[in-house]
Order: sequence, then structure tokens, then C-alpha cells
Amino acid sequence: MSTLSLPQTSYIRDNSRTFTDWLKSWLLTVDHKRIAILYLLAINFFFLLGGLAATLVRVELITPQGDLMSSDVYNRAFTLHGVIMVFFFLIPSIPAVLGNFLVPLMIGARDLAFPRLNLLSWYLYMIGGIFALIAAVFGGVDTGWTFYTPFSSTYSNSNVVMTITGAFIMGFSSILTGLNFIVTIHKMRAPGLTWFRLPLFIWANYATSIIQILATPVLGIALLLVVVERLWGVGIYDPALGGDPLLFQHLFWFYSHPAVYIMILPAMGVISELISTFSRKRIFGYEFIAFSSIAIAILGFLVWGHHMFVSSQSVYAGLVFSFITMLVAIPSAIKVFNWTATLYKGSISYRTPMLYALGFIGLFVIGGLTGIFLGVTAVDLHVTDTYFVVAHFHYVMVGGTIMAYLGGIHFWWPKMTGRMYNETWGGIAALIIFVGFNMTFFPQFILGYLGMPRRYHVYPPEFQILHVMSTAGASILAIGFIVPLIYLGISLRKGAIAGDNPWGATGLEWKTSSPPPTFNFDKTPIVTEEAYAYPPEAAERDAAAWRPGSPL
Amino acid sequence: MAEQHTHAHAHHHGEKHTHISRGTYYRVFAALMVLMVLTVAAWWVEKNLIELPGWLAVTIAMSIAIAKTVLIVLYFMHVKISSRMTQVYAAGAFVWLIILFVITMGDYVARGWPPQAGPLP
Repeated sequence: MSTLSLPQTSYIRDNSRTFTDWLKSWLLTVDHKRIAILYLLAINFFFLLGGLAATLVRVELITPQGDLMSSDVYNRAFTLHGVIMVFFFLIPSIPAVLGNFLVPLMIGARDLAFPRLNLLSWYLYMIGGIFALIAAVFGGVDTGWTFYTPFSSTYSNSNVVMTITGAFIMGFSSILTGLNFIVTIHKMRAPGLTWFRLPLFIWANYATSIIQILATPVLGIALLLVVVERLWGVGIYDPALGGDPLLFQHLFWFYSHPAVYIMILPAMGVISELISTFSRKRIFGYEFIAFSSIAIAILGFLVWGHHMFVSSQSVYAGLVFSFITMLVAIPSAIKVFNWTATLYKGSISYRTPMLYALGFIGLFVIGGLTGIFLGVTAVDLHVTDTYFVVAHFHYVMVGGTIMAYLGGIHFWWPKMTGRMYNETWGGIAALIIFVGFNMTFFPQFILGYLGMPRRYHVYPPEFQILHVMSTAGASILAIGFIVPLIYLGISLRKGAIAGDNPWGATGLEWKTSSPPPTFNFDKTPIVTEEAYAYPPEAAERDAAAWRPGSPL
Repeated sequence: MAEQHTHAHAHHHGEKHTHISRGTYYRVFAALMVLMVLTVAAWWVEKNLIELPGWLAVTIAMSIAIAKTVLIVLYFMHVKISSRMTQVYAAGAFVWLIILFVITMGDYVARGWPPQAGPLP
């Protein structure tokens, strides 16, 4: 029943005559690839904004005195940094940009299951973002991104309600994206694409979607109740009204701990793709990596109380949470060991995406292991609310998620745009980011262990040297983030034409043209082999054929 | 083709219907209204007539609320006539809700809840 059809044109091109038509064709598109580009632009804008707030924080901390801003303004600066980076960058980053672009392509579908819902998620994201921006412009919010009660519900005089509304609306965007992915992955896989032939990026996004659907509503309710208490004085969290401030922490972390896995799981999916492609080997232990994603998603729901060891949470609950926290290390370690085993005897090529992937493994290991320090109640008592915690989660969030995001953007850039970026500059930027990152955050481990508390803008003079190192590192890191913007931008016009499969990778997304046509494939692909089906001798052949200047 | 097959299969076993009739919607709506009246009545009785022990009052209020929720989820949200996969997901959401309640209440009980019970040693 196959019919011949004319080759379709790329999704980027359209034949609108006027600027308004062109704008409409983008703002009313239901094409998952175009929506991914809309997300890419919006998310990078928020990333720069969050980076700007981080700059303010780091510049203030160069000297022990509060000479750039008052403590109140400082509170608003780090809150802006946290809110923007967590809710408007990290959570949507990989699923909404790379996931949106790749999930249908990787499973051989024309689009996501609910294309219009997909566009709605982008609009919800933008509306949420606008609320957060308005709150920031009209004075900001000073509660920290965690909105802890009773400060947020009773005492704070900043724009709590506005910011919470933004996060609440953005939550729906996240839920709808997760819903769309789950239905798409269940229902729209190409013929022959069984569950255990799926790329691991799909497994990772599936696990992420489960968390998005099951956890986000709890955050929505928790935040809504803060608003209800602030506006109408209904006693939920305020003990004077019969409430309990700790209830907020329970509800908040029931979402926000799994949210950490919303950020890191898709990143792990990207890394599985990169490691396999640039080692020219089948991934080691496919099933273990796939199920470890699911295990992390489920275990992630049982550990939230480790954020509350030093609150008035019962010590018995603390013990239980501490034990379960240790369990998360198992699936995480399974992944790291499997990636390392994939590298073994592979033909490793140090292209830009691979540099990010290798950086990810090292930094994630440091971030993950320090997480175990923090999961042990005895150590946690010493370092709670210090820079040790700040360093730990930046190693996971920046060293993990952002490295994978950038690696993924570089890896699929030829597919998204049809052009290659400049490989030399790509490598340089990856190294700048790696060096800048470590210089920024490693000193913070030491600072925290020595007792520097987080969220203070003045500190004892003996900490200055480490703070100055950290700020210097942040400047290097900032350069590392700006360089890719430049060469990726230039590549749009001047980059070499990429061709369908510049990396010689497996996977359905490389079987269609670059950039892909509107409906992805001219003919529905039929899958007859497992993912990463590099022949056993591929690595050796690749290594033997290597010459200086070889493309791979 | 596959769709027709499922359809016939469902009818064969008589356990799935493709839609919910308008009459059922009205009956469910009426039941919800009755339950709402019950909620208010229970509150009024407790307030004005008899002093109920806390656990009983909470049990009554929760039972009515659960009955409402079940009606809405099954009929208005179409879970009753949905595929098994959708039903599994809908049930999964409640499993997660139980996780939230059980672990959170574990902390509350250990800290001393209800207050007269006092904290664990």
C-alpha cells in the first residue's frame, strides 16, 4: 500500500510571502521541530538572564564586605538566579529542546502524539516566564528558589505571589510535555521498533516524563497553598493559624527532589548516545542503562526528606531517608560503569560532543559522590546550608545537565540546521567551560567545608581567596558560554553543509535528510536491528583507518 | 483493522463501552450533588448536634471526598471506558499519592501526631 511521494522540503523553509506570514508560520506551528527551535531560543534567553543574576552574585562576593549591593538586593539576585535557572532553564532544557526535536525522529514518527498540546506547552512556558520576569522587574523576590514557609507565606514583602504564579503555570508546560512524550513513545514507534531497540535517549525521556506527570502537580498544589495563605490567611503553613511550616518542605521536596532527576535523566540519555557514537561501539549493558533510568525515576520519589535533615523532621524519618538515598547511588553508578565499559577498546574520537560527554562523566561522578556525603546525616549536619551543598548541586546541574545539553546541541546541530559548526572553536569552548567550571565550583567545596554559609553576601576575610578564585572561574565559564553562541550563529550561514549523517551514527534521526522534512520521513522507516548496531569490528576498522586530520 | 478488532473484542466481553451516555452523566452529577449536601450536613451535624471524636469526623469527611473523586475520575475523566494502559497510569497516580501520604505521615507520627500521642522516644 506504499505510494510514491515527492521529497518534502526542510522544516525550516516555508513559502510565506510576507513577514507576518512568516511570523505566523512559526508562532502557530504544530511541527515538533519548529517548537523545539522556539524552545531553544526562549530557554537560551532565560539561561543568559539567569547567568546575569549569577554574575551579580559572584561579583558581590569578590570582597568580604557587602559593597556592591545591600543584603536585601543580594537576596533578590540569588533568588532570581535560582528561580530562572531551575524552573525556566534546567527543567525544560533537554526534554523541551532536544526531546521535542528528537523523540519523533528517533522513533520514526511524523510528529508527537498531540502536536497542538505541544504548542500549548510552549505558550504556557512563555506565559510562566513572563510572570517571573514581571516579578523580577518590579522588585524581585527574596525567598530563594525554594520559597520556604513561613518566610514566603507570612513575612516576605517581595513579589512572591507573582513569581509563584509563573512557576505554577510553567509546571503545566512541563506536565503536558511529559504527557505528550509518554503517549508518543507508547503509540507511535515505527514498525519493528520494540522497546529494547529504542535509543537510550528515549528511555531516559520516558523516565523523565513519568516524573514530570507524577510530581509536578504536587509542586503546583504546594505553591498554590502558599498563595492562598498569603492572600486570604487560610492556615496551611502558619502555626499561628493551625498550620505546619514543615508541611511545605515535605510537599515542595516531593516535587523538587524528583525534579533533580527531571534535569539529570535526559542528560544521561544524551551521554549514552554520544559515548556510543564516538566510541564506535554498541553501548555496554543496554538493558541495565535503560532500567537504571526507570529505577532512578522511582527511587527519586522516596528520598525527599534528605533535604530536611536539619529541619524539625523526626530523626527516625531522617534515618529512613538517609538509607533510601544511598540506594540512588546504585543505578547512577550502573550508568557510569556502563559508559566507561563502552569506552573500553572503542575507537574514541575527541570531537566536541564527545569532549562534553567525557567532561560530564568526570563532573557527574564528583557531583554524585559528594551527594553521598550529604546523604549521610552526620556529615550533612556539618555542611547543611553551606557552600558545600552549593558546589555539590552545581557539579550535578552544571557539570551534568549543562555539559550534556551543550554536547547534545553540538551533536544534533547538523541535524537541526543542516550545517556543521567550527570544530576547532567547538573544542576550545568545551575546554574553556571545563576549566572555568572547575575553577568556579571546586573552591566552593572547600569554602563550604570550612563553614561558609550559602545565601550570605558578607563573609569573614579568610574566605576571600577562595571566593576570588570562584569568581575568576565564573568569568572564564561565562566566556565559555558566549563563544559557542558566536560560532554556532556563524555556522548558520557559513557552516559546511552537513549531509544526512555527518558522524556515521546509527539511529533513525540520521536516516532522514538534514534538516529533516516537515513530516520527518518520506516513507515510514522499518526497524530491523537494535540500537547502536555498530558491527563488532567497527571500532578496530575505524582506528586502523585513522590519519591525522581524519574527520572522526 | 486493529481498531475494529479491539472494538469487537471489548463488546464480546461486555466490559468496555465506547462512550458514556448523557443519562449517566446526569446521574453522576446528581450523585455528586447529593454527596455535596452530605458533606455540608456532616459538618453541620458535628457543629450543632453531636461532638464527634476527631478520627470519626475525619473518616466521614474523607469517605465522602473519596466517593466524589472516584465518580469524577471514572466517569467525567473517562477512565472507566479507557484502555488498560490509561487505567494503569491513572492507578499509578494514586500509588504515588499513597507514597506521599505514607512517608509524610510517617514523619508526623514520629514527631508526635496527634499531639496527645507525643513523639517517639
